[in-house]
Amino acid sequence: MLTTIRDLFRFSLSFRFGSLILIFVAIVVVTSFFAPYPPEKRRVVPRKFRGDPPSLQYVLGTTALGQDVFWMLTAGVKNTLIIASIAVVIGRGIGVMLGMISGYLGGAADRIIQSVVESVIVIPRLPLLILIAVILKGELTFVSLGILIGILDWAYPSKRYRAQVLSLRERDFTHTAIFSGMNTVKIVIQEHLPFIIPYMLADVVSGFLFSIGIEVTLSYLGLNDLNSLSLGTMIYWANEWSSIFAGKPWVMIAPVTASIIMVVGFYLVSIGISEYLDPRKRLVRLQAHQADLALELEREGASSAGVAVATAGRKEKDE
Amino acid sequence: MQLLRTYILPRIAQWAVVIFVGVTVTFLIPRFSPVNPIDDMISRMTAFQTIDPQAVVAMRANMEDLYGLDGSLLDQYIAFWRRLLAGDLGPSFQNFPAPVSEIIGAGLPWTVGLLTTTTLISWLLGIFVGSLVGYFQHQTWAQVLERLVIVIYPTPYLITALILLIVFAFYIPLFPMVGGAQGSPALTWNYISSILRFGFLPAMSIVIGGFAFRFIMAKALSTTEIASDYVQYAELAAVPKRRIVMSYVIRNTMLPHVNDLALSLGAMFEGALIVEVMFGYPGLGSKLFTAIGTSDYNIIMGITLLSIVGIATGSLIVDLLYPVFDPRVRLR
Amino acid sequence: MQRKLVLLLLLALLTAPTLVGFAQEPDGLPVDVPREDLWVFDQIFRWQTVNNFNVWRIGGSTPFHHALMLETFWNRDQETGEFIHALAAADPVYNDDFTEMSVELRPGVMWTDGEEFNADDVVYTIETIKANPELGQGGWHPQLVDFDVAVEKTGDYSVSFTLNRSNPRFHTLFESRWNGVYMMPSHIVSEVEANLADGENLGAWVWEAQDVVVLGNYLPVEADPNGYWELFKRRDDPENSLAGIITGGSGPPYALSIFYGNENIKKAIAMSRNELDVYFDVDIESFEFTLDNAPNARSWYTDFPWAYPNEVSSRQLAMNHESDPMLQNKDVRWALALALDIVEMQTEYIGGVAKVTPFPVPPTAKLYNLYHGPMTEWLTNLQIDLGDGEMYNPYDPTVPDQIAAWAEEQGFAVPGEPYEVFGAGWWKYDTDAAEKLLLKAGLSRGGDGKWMTPDGEPWVLDLQSTPDENDAFRMAQAAFDMWTDFGVEVSFSSLDRQSSFDPNQHIGAYEISTPWTSFALASGDMWPNIRGHHSRYYAPVGEDYRPLGGDSRRRLRDDTIDELIDAMATVNPVSQEAENVELGIQFIQNWVENMFDITCIAFKKFVTWDETYWTGFPTAENPNYQPLYWFQGGKYAIQNLHPTS
Repeated sequence: MLTTIRDLFRFSLSFRFGSLILIFVAIVVVTSFFAPYPPEKRRVVPRKFRGDPPSLQYVLGTTALGQDVFWMLTAGVKNTLIIASIAVVIGRGIGVMLGMISGYLGGAADRIIQSVVESVIVIPRLPLLILIAVILKGELTFVSLGILIGILDWAYPSKRYRAQVLSLRERDFTHTAIFSGMNTVKIVIQEHLPFIIPYMLADVVSGFLFSIGIEVTLSYLGLNDLNSLSLGTMIYWANEWSSIFAGKPWVMIAPVTASIIMVVGFYLVSIGISEYLDPRKRLVRLQAHQADLALELEREGASSAGVAVATAGRKEKDE
Repeated sequence: MQLLRTYILPRIAQWAVVIFVGVTVTFLIPRFSPVNPIDDMISRMTAFQTIDPQAVVAMRANMEDLYGLDGSLLDQYIAFWRRLLAGDLGPSFQNFPAPVSEIIGAGLPWTVGLLTTTTLISWLLGIFVGSLVGYFQHQTWAQVLERLVIVIYPTPYLITALILLIVFAFYIPLFPMVGGAQGSPALTWNYISSILRFGFLPAMSIVIGGFAFRFIMAKALSTTEIASDYVQYAELAAVPKRRIVMSYVIRNTMLPHVNDLALSLGAMFEGALIVEVMFGYPGLGSKLFTAIGTSDYNIIMGITLLSIVGIATGSLIVDLLYPVFDPRVRLR
Repeated sequence: MQRKLVLLLLLALLTAPTLVGFAQEPDGLPVDVPREDLWVFDQIFRWQTVNNFNVWRIGGSTPFHHALMLETFWNRDQETGEFIHALAAADPVYNDDFTEMSVELRPGVMWTDGEEFNADDVVYTIETIKANPELGQGGWHPQLVDFDVAVEKTGDYSVSFTLNRSNPRFHTLFESRWNGVYMMPSHIVSEVEANLADGENLGAWVWEAQDVVVLGNYLPVEADPNGYWELFKRRDDPENSLAGIITGGSGPPYALSIFYGNENIKKAIAMSRNELDVYFDVDIESFEFTLDNAPNARSWYTDFPWAYPNEVSSRQLAMNHESDPMLQNKDVRWALALALDIVEMQTEYIGGVAKVTPFPVPPTAKLYNLYHGPMTEWLTNLQIDLGDGEMYNPYDPTVPDQIAAWAEEQGFAVPGEPYEVFGAGWWKYDTDAAEKLLLKAGLSRGGDGKWMTPDGEPWVLDLQSTPDENDAFRMAQAAFDMWTDFGVEVSFSSLDRQSSFDPNQHIGAYEISTPWTSFALASGDMWPNIRGHHSRYYAPVGEDYRPLGGDSRRRLRDDTIDELIDAMATVNPVSQEAENVELGIQFIQNWVENMFDITCIAFKKFVTWDETYWTGFPTAENPNYQPLYWFQGGKYAIQNLHPTS
């Protein structure tokens, strides 16, 4: 794991760049714990500074109701990440589990799981999310929103993990291991996990991408807990109070820029990892495995970058 | 024959199961909504006027009767399938007695028109530009373009659409803010050009995101492809670069692209919800959004049914055609 | 080479539609009608019911287009409170026990197909609605059935109604502020009815735009199948429409209603693009944007406080009387009221643009004179017990003056007497008195200064609001901030209206919420609006109150309320107005003494029009009619519009 990350830093420009952004994001999140007051509180900025543009004292400006945009943003970034993390843990948790079970067991279990997966995939996700959010609205918190997104975002990942497992099972080194008498658990842990973990890393990152996008979208439609701060609810309020046109554009610019920077950061990291998985560069690095192995890896993942892209790709269709 | 029994038939059976499960789930979920379509309508009637309390009670009973919402959930479910198999999607509650099929019919051409066009444009443009950038990846212009796309690609749709709306409807007020066209449908330049004008901003929002996605896929695929021996040989043999890109690289990377195209065309019927809501575009997505808010069950069902069948069929076609393109599948 | 080709192709693809955009005027309206012939108004929401003008059927959409087309006997103007004779030529005439009502009709009003409106149309309308439960709009059908109404033609232009029991307010079915029994063209509908298939009824009758025949000034031409807009054309003989007869004006040749989306700013942008002539309401930010970007736009006042202040409704912090046990104590409710600084709420949060009122009757010109004015003395002398026998006068009649002082400090001129512009007095902002009341109720302050219940538990109030009503939401934010400062722990949730705010009200899943209510109609009559508070419509928490038909969202049962509602039911609001108002004042006094809810402000509407194309809208300088074009009475304002150039 550590070697992987070190390699990534050494070989991938986008990973280096992306992780710098994410480190910056992490600093912002840590800062949020030092807020001098609950950042959603109104009337904390003295009256004469309310609705002011960015200044030395209020780096990102203030709102007309007397909130400091900087502290709002730190809390917003933190909460959006909480939602996304919950969604990713749940979505990827279910996805990895079902994908691996399906891939290794095969047969009837595989067929049943695949039918379920396909059924979930055909249901249009964004409308379904909206529908459930409408139903749960009163009780919707960041945690339940995260769970909700997670529950609806496992089908595609599970399909991809299954494909990974299937391809690994057909590899020569798997056959070699089987012939040399290695037991299955050992094969999975020693031979396959080293392939699956970096793959998962890229996939987790693209899961973040998806969840942040959905959080922002649902909040924009007014279907989040609007009284708490997240990037999405900040955009909702900035839009609701027409901040751009009412001469207070910083109220809108801060969350929009933050969400773009954040997703780009995640995305760059995921490209970095994908590049690392890229067959040719891998060949250069490892110089061990045969060429056809690499080719197959590429085919199964549709493309190397496609690994990261495919999850987020569904986003397109949804929106 | 072996292929038919072990691959094609199970796949078709799966298609049917998938649709059944999907439809059942979407039948059940809205019925847990706290918004009851009848109460919703009564609330709206009484929001601006007072109605005699006894009269309200009588109205409720009349409406339940009229909308067929008076049986148990199971009764309603059975009645729903019976109607559906007879090709009847039922009436809209909010626009009673207009049949849902008519309402979907009004939105369908807009959604299909908008999404077919934008899907194809972003698909073609993405493959073309992406492959070129993959091929010329060391040139400055290619690198600039790629960086640009990397920033655009992960940006949520909503934000792209919001920025477009602000810029092109207010600061440079070139494009309309709501609607699909000007005047009544006619084969005149005025009407046809207005379709383009009204559809431009929604289309741009979709094309930008879709292009970026396709671009990244195409670039990745072509980068792998140009490392192949045959491309190296072609270059050594001084085959014109244009021909290498067009005839060899793009052609040989088409399979996954075609696959995705079929899937995204299948997913078209759910509409482009966010974009349609944002630009007041008269398609199925914004219809669905309103229907969810007012618990117009039959409309929700009608649109999701169309979408479920669309996606399931798209993926069925892809899977059935796969053996034709990729002989290895046949062996499995 | 390739590079150039690529760039060229890219450029061509990207610019083609842009060029199309440039080639035309930046005209974003979806209809092809010359702009100078077209009056464009805000449709408020997207139509669910499209191209079906059978407005009598049950369900259906809220009728924002009724004013353009439909007529009933009387209208009520909200600005003046005036009772306008529409299809009726005079006031209703009742017999002594209110079991008969006779109506004189106005001769010379023409249907758009050239037939004259007469008593046959009335008889047909009443009998048809009464016979068809499917024609349930407005609850008219059940009421006609309930009173077993018989209607008789007593002349070409006169009808008489007979009821099975006394009803001094029977005429209100035909008195429209918003909606009333609309007359059907009997020569058209009877034919439709005759051609119905077996088993069909008029509920399923779809009346499409091209077939519509009405008494109003406008005929529908085209309806967007997707509900975003509707286009209307002026009839050929506007002088024969009822609105034409009453006002003498003819109105714009075409009218387009259009929905720009839920965001306020979109309407403001549309107006700045000259693609909207009038909008319904926006928040103050979007309104200021309009003033800056649409040079010909204005609202009711040309200057501060701009907005139209007299729509007949008010906003309150309404309490669920079966939720938090603390709220069941009158002293606690009073303490919450005294902990609010109404001047700061009205100025800092709401921008100084709404009238203040201490009870759910808006201080419009007419209603102020009926209720607020006469009650000032009682309010000033009102005393509450702060405990230990200390009596306290909570009312502060100087609130409007304080707001006027604030306005002058901001550099605004106040257009009139403070009470005319800013409404009535309100409760003093006195946290000491509030403190005493809470102590009297057995609460105490904890170590952190927060209030604790008598059981020693932290006292947490749940406050819900919905952001789509700007003023209600800001009122809730102010209450949250002020109560928090006073040491009350408040959990504040802002909910989406359709999915949770309204449903929570319906089943009583809230403690304090922000609905809208007016106890009085524009006429001053209170009974129709308060009858739903009778305990016979009471629904306990957890049950939806609407199936019972009343208005039990507050879960309130009070004997005095029941007595007064029963007493008012037998009074005719027109012939016995003084008695009716006196009972109303007693009702309000009971409400205020118990502080059943904390009413803060009346409705204001930034109903704003752009005079680039059309002028003649009612204004504060020329208040001839109400500018609320979406109400029935709004049609007269439309009729008076004329081209600016």
